[in-house]
Amino acid sequence: MTLFDTSASRRTLLKASLGVAATGVLTAPRIARAAGPDKINIAYFVGTSPTMIAKGDGWIEELTKAKVNWIEVGSGAEINTAVAAGSVDVGIGIGSAPTAAGLSQGIGYEVVSILDNIGPAEELTVRTSANIKTVADLKGKKVGTPFGSTSHFRLLGLLKTNGLTQKDVTVLDLRPDALVAAWQRGDIDGAYVWAPAKSKILAAGGEVFRTYDKLEAAGYVIADLIVARTAFTQAYPDAVVAILKAGNKALDVWTKTPDKAAELIGKQAGVTAAVAKEDLLQYDFVSPERQLQPDWLGAPGKGGKFAEVLQGTAKFLVEQKSIRSVPELAVFQKGINTAPLVKSLA
Amino acid sequence: MALRIPLRAWTVVSALVLAAAWLTLTWGGFVRDLFLPPPDQLWDAFNDLATDGYKNRTLWEHLQISLWRIFAGFVTGALAGTFLGLAMGYWRGVAALASPFVEFLRPLPQLAYLMLLIIWFGIGETSKIILLFLAALPVSAVAARDGVRNVPAQRIHAARTLGATEWQVFRHVVLPSALPEIFTGARIGVGVVYGTLIAAEIIAGSSGIGWMILDAGRFLRSDYVFVGIILIGLMGVALNGALVALETRLVHWAGR
Repeated sequence: MTLFDTSASRRTLLKASLGVAATGVLTAPRIARAAGPDKINIAYFVGTSPTMIAKGDGWIEELTKAKVNWIEVGSGAEINTAVAAGSVDVGIGIGSAPTAAGLSQGIGYEVVSILDNIGPAEELTVRTSANIKTVADLKGKKVGTPFGSTSHFRLLGLLKTNGLTQKDVTVLDLRPDALVAAWQRGDIDGAYVWAPAKSKILAAGGEVFRTYDKLEAAGYVIADLIVARTAFTQAYPDAVVAILKAGNKALDVWTKTPDKAAELIGKQAGVTAAVAKEDLLQYDFVSPERQLQPDWLGAPGKGGKFAEVLQGTAKFLVEQKSIRSVPELAVFQKGINTAPLVKSLA
Repeated sequence: MALRIPLRAWTVVSALVLAAAWLTLTWGGFVRDLFLPPPDQLWDAFNDLATDGYKNRTLWEHLQISLWRIFAGFVTGALAGTFLGLAMGYWRGVAALASPFVEFLRPLPQLAYLMLLIIWFGIGETSKIILLFLAALPVSAVAARDGVRNVPAQRIHAARTLGATEWQVFRHVVLPSALPEIFTGARIGVGVVYGTLIAAEIIAGSSGIGWMILDAGRFLRSDYVFVGIILIGLMGVALNGALVALETRLVHWAGR
């Protein structure tokens, strides 16, 4: 059904997949009509992230002069599916694990920016009364995490780097809200998840079991990203630049006036300013300038380390049988497009 | 009899057209495998799942777990529902007591109360089976109630006139007359339980064919999703066939 839709953007996708030049005749009138899109479909997560200020204050609508259709999602997988179907143009906050899966499977999108380096913001929490002091103590315990997420990736990495398998530790697939419920009933002794579920679990007899630093050193870096449908970026490069500009401006509010930002973000995410600030402090929001360094996304055409992180994540997903095969590094390098980010700084 | 051959031919034709479209679209390179995997990929995926399993469990374990959940939820739900329905049909008082709840529960989407079941019954098998139980119960109850209500009054009167006790009337007149409808209810119930399986396996999954489809879908593994759908579909056809066979054995008088 989606394959035969006539909208300009989907047509471009179809053209790409068919490799038929003749369809260009059909697309020409729509693309030539306007410089900017009439409507942008943006998928986002409700959470404590500076981009929420840009959403709340309508900066993207203002800068792109387009109608924005905000689509709330609960997982990166939903963004992947929606982009594949052509229903989402830009995905804000998609995790590196689903992005690695998406790029490996040839979903037509590119990473255009890093929102944050997740670091300690997603972490293992264990029940204090279960007396879990070492990773080996997890044996025979039940640990929940949302499957397919960056947290899931980290948890499995934790087991793997410590020589444990899922025969030793029962890993259960639970959405964040269900995790909190299962935790409160005492059904699980561990959870690998992000805020606000993490904060609720910590408040209900949990404690942080620090894993992130060792896992990062072992290559299990996780990040939240902004992805844009390749056909959309090609058709409307300025719109993508404008969206990134709005994001930069929002990040500025957080770095310069954290208390004001926390209040605005808290209002959007439905938490108090204090909770929002506490959550925000856990993330490392990578500035656009840092993103363009070789350590992260790298300058346009130069490439950065992050392509390797994505490939490493994809390799792991293949071991998990989540995706079929890992493409070569060039695919991930091509899947990162920092040209709009450079323009957003101008 | 004369119509039988052309009708079968139509079935064959529709299957062939579908297969031809599938082959042309996939092998002809018109559709990416992400959207529709070609037959060879499906076969590979099936072999892969059959030999290596899916995420720490073999394919047969996933199927077994799902079948067990369906069985447990359906049998308990259908039995409880049938008893309740018989009582509702036989005694107006019971009907008055139970009807509002049965009628309320019947159209309720299971996902609506999924969260509550997790909070009340945990993330183990109990909440999954209760979910399926709750799906089967109202369907069976309504079928059994209507079955009893539709028993022709003359039959009951005739039995009473011949001196049958209340129990004898129920056992030898009401129950056999209602049985065909009870079986129809059971078959609809299996369908409902089957449809609820994926919802049940959302609860703290990592096992079951429904969960496998969900999890593979998350990573856009269309090949596994298709294999899962084909398996779950065939399983449904087999279950329905088993019930029909049981029905023809037990209520061979139906429709006569």
